[in-house]
Amino acid sequence: MEIEERIEPLACGRDAAEVWDAAVAGRLDEHARSCPHCGAAAADALRLDGVVHRLADERPVPPASVLDRVMNAVADTVIAELRPQDLLVLDSPAGPARLSRAAAARVIRHVVDGMDGMRARSCRIEQDPDTGERTTAQVAITVTARFGVDLASVTARVRQMVLAAGEQALGVPVSRVDITVVDLWEGP
Amino acid sequence: MRVSPSAPVPEPPPPEQGLDEQTLVVRAREGDVRAFSELARRHQDALYRLALRLVGNSSDAEDALQESLIDAWRRLVRFRADSSFSTWMYRIVTNRCLDLLRRRRPAVPVDQLAEELAAPAAGAPEQAAEVDAGLAALRVALRRLPDEQRACWVLRELEGLGYAEIAEITGAGETAVRGRIHRARTALAGEMRAWR
Repeated sequence: MEIEERIEPLACGRDAAEVWDAAVAGRLDEHARSCPHCGAAAADALRLDGVVHRLADERPVPPASVLDRVMNAVADTVIAELRPQDLLVLDSPAGPARLSRAAAARVIRHVVDGMDGMRARSCRIEQDPDTGERTTAQVAITVTARFGVDLASVTARVRQMVLAAGEQALGVPVSRVDITVVDLWEGP
Repeated sequence: MRVSPSAPVPEPPPPEQGLDEQTLVVRAREGDVRAFSELARRHQDALYRLALRLVGNSSDAEDALQESLIDAWRRLVRFRADSSFSTWMYRIVTNRCLDLLRRRRPAVPVDQLAEELAAPAAGAPEQAAEVDAGLAALRVALRRLPDEQRACWVLRELEGLGYAEIAEITGAGETAVRGRIHRARTALAGEMRAWR
């Protein structure tokens, strides 16, 4: 396969692909400028280059309906493939209610994203097995922070916010919050 | 300019638009549909261009893009960040298009590629005609290339990727990629020589 794919050198011994790249980049050396073999290869390269650029400049875009269809199919997949282990059990006096982990993680990420200089990345929520008692959840979250923020105080604030979101927005008491700052970013 | 008080207030953009790619990938891998939607939105134009240039018509290119993105959602759990999301997506689209072309054999006769030949005119009429004819000849010549060669050439010359990334996308070695691109270039140059 590799032999079949190898590039035949020009009659003068030069690597044909290198001559081609040099011609297009305007970097032909003295030999290439005077050698008839290199000259022929360079002429081919330059002849093709202009029309290739014109083709590359065309920027066709897909109709918006493609992304709509994709996201509809994705939404159907999410519902069809939801497994029991993907659900959290919410306390409710009128019987158990369930919430998908992805939706719960989205709520928690949203809370963190709303904090100045913080963005949530991964958010994993584990829940103790349902024992009939009030079950608690453990949250492991990774965040990125803007350069310059006081990491000790913002992570403490993230912890508070996650605890509050668990209790108030989700109705799942959170017993543990692991926070890892995985990256820092510059800018607003 | 006066704005009528009843003018609708534009909705704020979804917050995902301000997120970096790695954050979106992690979130999407954990089942966040909106993060995936944003990734798809960012990459769909480049992926569509690739598909269109590989399969040669917009209908098949749209199908290939759509199926590739749905496939990506399903396989995202297994995506590890040892390659970039864009490389990974290019690979999915390239494989899907090459599969489609394999199934489509025997090849569509070149003279039936009406859509491919109907490029939009630009500039002065006489110049536009010249430009169109050159582009049309290149498109026809491209269709004559073996599929794997065309894939490597398109990724290099139209999408501007490096040999190493093209090797990762196509699963061929870097030497093979370099060879395919060179063979494609010389074949196209030969066709364009004849056209002139």
